[in-house]
Amino acid sequence: MLTKSETGSPRKPKQGVAIRTSDILAMCTALSILLLSIPTTSIAAAPTGDAMCIACHSMKMNKALEDGDQLSLHISSTDFTESVHGKFGCASCHSAIAKGPHPKPAAISNKRDYSVAANDSCKNCHKGMVRSYQKSIHASLVAEGNQKAPLCTDCHSAHSIQAKETLATVTGQPCKGCHEEIFTAYSQSVHGTARENGNVIRASHIQAPICSDCHSAHDISAVAASEKLKSACIDCHPEAKAAHQKWLPNSELHLTAIACPACHSPMAERRVDLQLYNNVKQSPVAQSDDIEFQKRLQDLDVAGDGLDPMELWNLVRQTNQDGEAVNITLQGRVEVSKGIDSHRLANKGAAVRDCQSCHQNGANAFNSVTVSIAKPDGRKQRYVANSDVLSSAVSVESVSNFYAMGGTRIKLLDGLLILAIFAGVAVPIGHIVLGKILKKIR
Amino acid sequence: MEAIQARHNLADMTYINPLPVRIWHWVNALGFVLLVLTGAQIRYTDIFGVLTFESAVKLHNWVGFAVIANYFVWLGYYIFSDRITNYHPVLDARKFATNFFQQAQYYSYGIFKGEHSPHQVQPYDKFNPMQRLAYQLIMLTAAPINFVTGLMMWDTQRFANWIAAVGGIRVVDTIHVAIFILFVFFIFVHAYMGALGRTPITHYREMFTGYEEH
Repeated sequence: MLTKSETGSPRKPKQGVAIRTSDILAMCTALSILLLSIPTTSIAAAPTGDAMCIACHSMKMNKALEDGDQLSLHISSTDFTESVHGKFGCASCHSAIAKGPHPKPAAISNKRDYSVAANDSCKNCHKGMVRSYQKSIHASLVAEGNQKAPLCTDCHSAHSIQAKETLATVTGQPCKGCHEEIFTAYSQSVHGTARENGNVIRASHIQAPICSDCHSAHDISAVAASEKLKSACIDCHPEAKAAHQKWLPNSELHLTAIACPACHSPMAERRVDLQLYNNVKQSPVAQSDDIEFQKRLQDLDVAGDGLDPMELWNLVRQTNQDGEAVNITLQGRVEVSKGIDSHRLANKGAAVRDCQSCHQNGANAFNSVTVSIAKPDGRKQRYVANSDVLSSAVSVESVSNFYAMGGTRIKLLDGLLILAIFAGVAVPIGHIVLGKILKKIR
Repeated sequence: MEAIQARHNLADMTYINPLPVRIWHWVNALGFVLLVLTGAQIRYTDIFGVLTFESAVKLHNWVGFAVIANYFVWLGYYIFSDRITNYHPVLDARKFATNFFQQAQYYSYGIFKGEHSPHQVQPYDKFNPMQRLAYQLIMLTAAPINFVTGLMMWDTQRFANWIAAVGGIRVVDTIHVAIFILFVFFIFVHAYMGALGRTPITHYREMFTGYEEH
């Protein structure tokens, strides 16, 4: 259960645990000195086993892994004893040791597999946290075999576990370890700068949020499951709904159809995501078999250039024919194209407030369109669609729930309007000309 | 009025459009034109820049409510007065079709030969068959549909169930815009046909005075 940082410098393994004879002699000497020097009363008060563990594991030693890598078995006694787990002792996690003598060294295939297996020991004490974690996008990625997805120890470390307060700092640890670019964007945002500059925003001591305040610490959802993130915004900004109602017509619709950062991260590139939505169940259509959805889209997109309006219409029609009677439509939502932009939140004075930034032809938000389906873990599987799916007459049915006046207007109606104006002018002129012709004939 | 009556014999004047009808008509005309203009501004912000989108929406909403209220002036007047016969003087489809054809023939040929309109304007039968059909289509179908679809878009939350019943916000807007296009055509043709009286301003003057000049 060692983190990457605690795996020491590589050494040439012989077989199994690579310990030199000199190391064994040193360990025995150290253990003898330790046992002789500790008063009997102290042994009774302190966890004897831990002292024995540390006696060996405080030394530099590595274990050769099957993949040729080296696993450091070195534990800093100071780090561990000063950690929040120090008082519980080694055996509270390494329970196999508590059952008797040191277990026989077993073969370990690689560091990652060892860490994944060791991750289970956390639930002995932290059942609720582990349950939350198991619902998270991180756990989903681990289950998928993603080698970089974090385990408990990747955020909390294995042996120098600190109180959770130490994580909620401006340093961004541990999230920054994997999401450095995003954390940098956050640090420059209204939230990041507020947190760095004293934190307290209001008299009620609400602090500017750090990563876990919006994403939570353990049950971190896929960002596409945006309702949770929207709730996070509203939880800290309960006045936001009323504030929008004051100036924004149909504010509830706007707050539903537009992700908060699409306006509050003013420099962000935006796109429209059309998610398959079951109107009977009132929830996104869940895709249990990713390959089937992907295959269907590839079959529909004959030219391979993204779905056109007819192909999109066919997708909705085919999806409605799956299984029981359903009413599946596409739920449109304006969102930022890149996750990093969600973290570049600006002061509200800089937020997009000009209606025309969306409500006009060629608006940035409507030039990029994806079609998506929800994966079981909340992530979206996306497929590119042509932007004209938002302005085609064919989409009146398939994209029936998403429309931005001016921005996604139907081109056919523009043509009809020109025809109506032409006919409106042509009828009087034609009638006058007809009259003149008939007069001449008479 | 005296001046007009002085120019014509009283026998040549028939009181066709009572005051409530005239008020309704001109408020409605102004309202329709404003709705068409602000509607075009809302839809074509990238082409016209007379008003901002926000201002155009606000004005469109206010004018829309005024036109809806005015509609009930029209509806109330005709329901509670005996002049409803202007719309249905004879409930005879065959006769109506014949008259409609005669009227179309008049506008396309007879009018240029100096013939009189086959329909004689009377206080309780003022519309020719073409007017009767066009005005009823507008006042009993197109306008109410646009009032309702306009209301749905004005407050999508309040009318969420209605929007869902129609089939979604895009369907609602498409209907609203399709009827707006019909109104654009109607305004051109209506304005032109209004100029087909004895003189180009005869019918326009009548809509102010209420008196039909023969």
